[in-house]
Amino acid sequence: MTTQSAPSGKTVRTVKPLALGRNRFERAAWMFMRYSGLVLIFLALSHFWIQHILIGTQALSQAQTVAFWGAQGNPITIGNLIFRLYYAVMLVLAMVHGLNGTRQVVGDYVHGKQIFMLIMGALTLVVGFLIVFGLFGLLIGAKAN
Amino acid sequence: MSTLVTTITDGLRYKGKQGQWAWVFHRVSGLGIMFFLVLHVFGMSLASFNPAAHEQMLELYKQPIFAIGELFLAACLVYHAINGARIALLELKPEWWANPAKAMRWSIILTLIFLAPTLLIMAGRSIQHFFGAP
Repeated sequence: MTTQSAPSGKTVRTVKPLALGRNRFERAAWMFMRYSGLVLIFLALSHFWIQHILIGTQALSQAQTVAFWGAQGNPITIGNLIFRLYYAVMLVLAMVHGLNGTRQVVGDYVHGKQIFMLIMGALTLVVGFLIVFGLFGLLIGAKAN
Repeated sequence: MSTLVTTITDGLRYKGKQGQWAWVFHRVSGLGIMFFLVLHVFGMSLASFNPAAHEQMLELYKQPIFAIGELFLAACLVYHAINGARIALLELKPEWWANPAKAMRWSIILTLIFLAPTLLIMAGRSIQHFFGAP
């Protein structure tokens, strides 16, 4: 924030716009939201459609997950690979897209710097853990029950 | 906390028409999806680490209350996706900002086009499952 004098003699504070070239992080985050959002429209909506319309909630089972991902210890088919890649990309993009969105919402309502960092730090840790945990699970494959 | 209260009271007073409600629902649906996603990613990882727990979780999700929750999730997803696309599209083609009401109308129409069959199919299946003949 900079201060300057307006013609009336009063001091006016101006805030540097966030999305200008000078603030690289905000600009990158803004671009990321649009691009990841576009990819996620396809990934997330098709995922929801496959699980809820094609298969149906009542027909979901551990066995179906094993069939899609491939079981641990079994050789991976191309189909398994495609599904794992599809889920991995969707996982990372969705979690980061959501985390950035939440950062914007929290930033609108939480003004204290420390508490903002506390909340966002905790959320980032949770998201980071979920990404690592999820990617590892996709890497090793599903366990048959 | 006071900021949140002020937001709600002043938001109701603002009368910003479609643009304001588009923004509010985009935010609310986004938060809802994020909350669901945290639970969902953890639950699905169980398939690799604890298949018995994963199976239990899936059985839980087949209960009626989750059937209703799924309908809300579908609505949040479709709305957030289409409104997000509207925002990005309007940023790409700024001349279309000239008619925000039209853009909002398209956004709502597309949401309904994608949402209505989804909700009907899902609700229909749930009703058949929970109330239909065994």
